[in-house]
Amino acid sequence: MKIDEALLKKLEKLSYVNISDEKRAEVIAQLSEILSFVDNLSELDTSGVDDTFSMRGESTRLRDDEPKIDRDINENIIKNAPKSENHFFVVPKIIE
Amino acid sequence: MVTLKEALALDESALEALREEIKTNVANDKELNAYIDLSQSGSGIPIAIKDNIQVKGWSVTSASKILQGYIAPYNASVIEKLEKANLSPFGRTNMDEFAMGSTTESSCYGPTLNPLKRDCVPGGSSGGSAAVVAAGIAVAALGSDTGGSIRQPAAYCGVVGMKPTYGRVSRYGLGAYASSLDQIGPITQNVEDAAILLDIISGSDEKDSTCASLEPTAIAKNIDSDRKLTIAIIPDFIKDASDDVKVAYTKAIDTLKSAGHTIVEKAMMDPKFDISAYYVTATAEATTNLARYDGVRYGTRVEDGSLVNSYFKTRSEGFGDEVKRRILLGNFVLSSGYYDAYYVKAQKVRTLIKAEYNKLFNEVDLILSPVAPSVAPKQGEMEDPMAMYLSDIYTISVNLAGLPAISLPIMKNKDGLSVGLQLIANAYEEQTLFDGASSLEKSL
Repeated sequence: MKIDEALLKKLEKLSYVNISDEKRAEVIAQLSEILSFVDNLSELDTSGVDDTFSMRGESTRLRDDEPKIDRDINENIIKNAPKSENHFFVVPKIIE
Repeated sequence: MVTLKEALALDESALEALREEIKTNVANDKELNAYIDLSQSGSGIPIAIKDNIQVKGWSVTSASKILQGYIAPYNASVIEKLEKANLSPFGRTNMDEFAMGSTTESSCYGPTLNPLKRDCVPGGSSGGSAAVVAAGIAVAALGSDTGGSIRQPAAYCGVVGMKPTYGRVSRYGLGAYASSLDQIGPITQNVEDAAILLDIISGSDEKDSTCASLEPTAIAKNIDSDRKLTIAIIPDFIKDASDDVKVAYTKAIDTLKSAGHTIVEKAMMDPKFDISAYYVTATAEATTNLARYDGVRYGTRVEDGSLVNSYFKTRSEGFGDEVKRRILLGNFVLSSGYYDAYYVKAQKVRTLIKAEYNKLFNEVDLILSPVAPSVAPKQGEMEDPMAMYLSDIYTISVNLAGLPAISLPIMKNKDGLSVGLQLIANAYEEQTLFDGASSLEKSL
């Protein structure tokens, strides 16, 4: 699998990450090399193999829906956030 | 440095003296750069903590620029368990950014040196945790292992590193990299200490639904190094390893034989498939887990006009090159049109890998395997990402199958670098794993 400039642009958008101009060629080459290696998976016959792999044989444990809150955690998160006001995170204006 | 077992017998004033001794030794050797800082919480036995495990009130940053300014608002469950046993977090250790790497060179705090040979890397991603134990500036440490990140640095630094069965130890409060692979585990001076620390941090946790509903392990007091085990060796695996590793492998086999264990030769799937299944799975999960770092709620924000531009700017400036590479790869394997060929295929291959281990463990108790293809490489030598991924060849199938494994030092090469090997056990068979590891350690 080869990555090209158009695909890199798409991946940057999906990732909310920009690759700088001077690194683009290198990143395209690296991603292409890694994906070409990973293509070896197609050598394995997986027809009939279940695609719902899970680490444990059982389903996710359920619990009672009881409200629990530790206000201290909320306070500390807000206090250390990049920008906050009146218990809200403040972000740049979204709607003009 | 006192062992963890010895430290358990120390009183409060002796522990205070121990912390002072560590502070002095760390201040006298800044070059090693294994501790990011000596944050302290509580006054029990000091345990070094990898910079991706939440300790309330500490700056916990996964060695990333993007988490500068973040203060952990709660304790990871393993930290709560440590504190109940009178062990106290002391010092956060350096690591590869977001645990993505094999050298601890991608840390935003600069590289950690290998205490055995300073121009070499300590391994990674838990390089700081392995280095502080190896340098005698920690009693023991916690690390995390997603694809070998405890076992490989332990092997490079000449200490013991143990990855528990997936689900044995709570991941609550561990900065997530790849959630179906991550496990927290001990890095210690010897096998018994690793068992002691595992006994303390293991056990069910209502805050982690992937943590098994099991009592904490009680391995340390039950270690039986006289137990005779059947141990598989995989001759095909060793072909591409360095001479040092081959010599250590032969030495370990001879030692295990003379200790009365039965050695059997087995074959396994070409490990190139492990690498592929691992990097597809790990990057897919990483890209999802790291989507939360957007500069809104915690860490560092770099504003750039609109909210969307701020996301781009924050993430582009906050993440290092390797983290960006894995995010891009993860979004590729999850994206429409490629999802089935890469992500779903990798999960099917994982099923095959797990089935192969299951079959093998019907016949044997343990598997003896290399940890890394060579001893610790030189600083700066592992620049090519593909070469770094290939160096994970011996460790990642254990994570893909969720098995427990322990890395222990076998010998030193002519340059004074350590060669470690690992024993692998079936899921939840940690007792067998420690029985075998203890026997090997004692017989070397």
